[in-house]
Amino acid sequence: MAKTSLYNAHIKAGAKMVDFAGWEMPVQYKGIIEEHNNVRNNAGLFDVSHMGEIFVSGEDSLKYLQMLVPQNIEKLIDKKAIYCQFTNQNGGIIDDLFIYKLEDNHYLLIVNASRINDDYNWMIKNINNFNVNVENKSDIYSMLALQGPKAADILEAAGIKKEYQPHTMYIKEIKLLNDNILISRTGYTGEDGFEIIVKNEKAEELWNLLLEKGKPFNIMPVGLGARDTLRLEAAMSLYGNELDENTTPVEAGLVWSLDKNKTENYIGKDVIFNQLQNGAPKKLIGFKMQDRAIARHGYDIYINNEKSGYVTSGCVAPSIGCNIGLGYIDKKLNINDTIQIMIRGRLFNAVITSKNFIKKHNKGN
Amino acid sequence: MTVHENILCSKSHEYVYEENGNYNIGLTDYAIEQLGDIVFVELPEIGTSYTKGEIFGTIESVKAASEIYMPISGTVTAINEELIEKPELLNESSFEDAWLIKVSSNTFDEDNKDLIDYDTYKEEVE
Repeated sequence: MAKTSLYNAHIKAGAKMVDFAGWEMPVQYKGIIEEHNNVRNNAGLFDVSHMGEIFVSGEDSLKYLQMLVPQNIEKLIDKKAIYCQFTNQNGGIIDDLFIYKLEDNHYLLIVNASRINDDYNWMIKNINNFNVNVENKSDIYSMLALQGPKAADILEAAGIKKEYQPHTMYIKEIKLLNDNILISRTGYTGEDGFEIIVKNEKAEELWNLLLEKGKPFNIMPVGLGARDTLRLEAAMSLYGNELDENTTPVEAGLVWSLDKNKTENYIGKDVIFNQLQNGAPKKLIGFKMQDRAIARHGYDIYINNEKSGYVTSGCVAPSIGCNIGLGYIDKKLNINDTIQIMIRGRLFNAVITSKNFIKKHNKGN
Repeated sequence: MTVHENILCSKSHEYVYEENGNYNIGLTDYAIEQLGDIVFVELPEIGTSYTKGEIFGTIESVKAASEIYMPISGTVTAINEELIEKPELLNESSFEDAWLIKVSSNTFDEDNKDLIDYDTYKEEVE
């Protein structure tokens, strides 16, 4: 199993380690609920070094990326981030990712750990006659996520004044620890915060600096367990759960992240445009359980005693005080309609709710 | 945390000990620690009979659901209602008052042959 540059720091901090996408990662330190609440109330520091960094450069970079994603990359201005997906010929999602425009003909793509190889192979396969360089630099970079309402204060205490910090959905190259590091104001928790890309050899130094400077703000290291409950409360998709190669962005409720009027061709456009006009065979819904049972990934959803879908994610929602989930159904239902989840041979009631389980604090484009 | 004196443990991390002619069954501290924050416990109805090795309940942490197996055969005579209301108590201690069910059993002496005492159990899991 692969280890991030922060492996020793995790062990020292008392982390419980698990296998995630071939990486030995911290699932929790003090406890998932405590870590979750601390990110909502103060701040948390995550090791997300397993994620992939792929750079695209060359004079056809824009045309090439436009062909790979349903989003419109042309409107992306310098230093801006955009969320999008790689789609296949059927509109199915190969991965979801952030594209950062560093400057003209120079883009950084942050992709999921479990998909780095698939993404890279897909990108190489589709270079065709484009004049581009695609470089997978995942092995030389680590990534830390500093998330929570105190994140900006902590970054300031670490030496980056608030006025120099990037705005929401922007990235900045900043000098810290005698190195140039990339800091973007993005995240996966629904809170304000930063994702910091740093060379492997500087990762532990930065980790320790942020924990040290964050002490007065009650920072704590946070594992993948709370990362999952935080992102689920914020209804952010997880690849392998909500997203896969048999699911389109339309089905996944990601229409907001694509350009409905995109004129350029891209892979999967026919299917996606058809679904935008005529509807899709399944639809992602959010739901709240009506009792203490928890709907887990893979459980069946029933509507009027008929199997009509499946749960993609479910968990205790510490900030909401009930159990929530996401899942696909193949019928048209409305908010407040009742569905049932088959849990260990019994049906439990759940109510369809808005996917805005919580008020998010990371908006601000 | 006090571990009951005559406690026996299974490989699947349940414990059992005799008390006033009944057998108290619960989960070891190691099992709870591995699960993390406990949020839900599902227990059987009183009067249900199980054979050794059968699933009698479920415990869920934030992260995952796990099944709980009978370390001996028996018939449920009581369930721990307090844990259904406050499953998080298991994170403080899974021993003492935090047994899950009580059962009556007349096969304890044969059923306990592959169970191990707590000290041996601790050595095996650590």
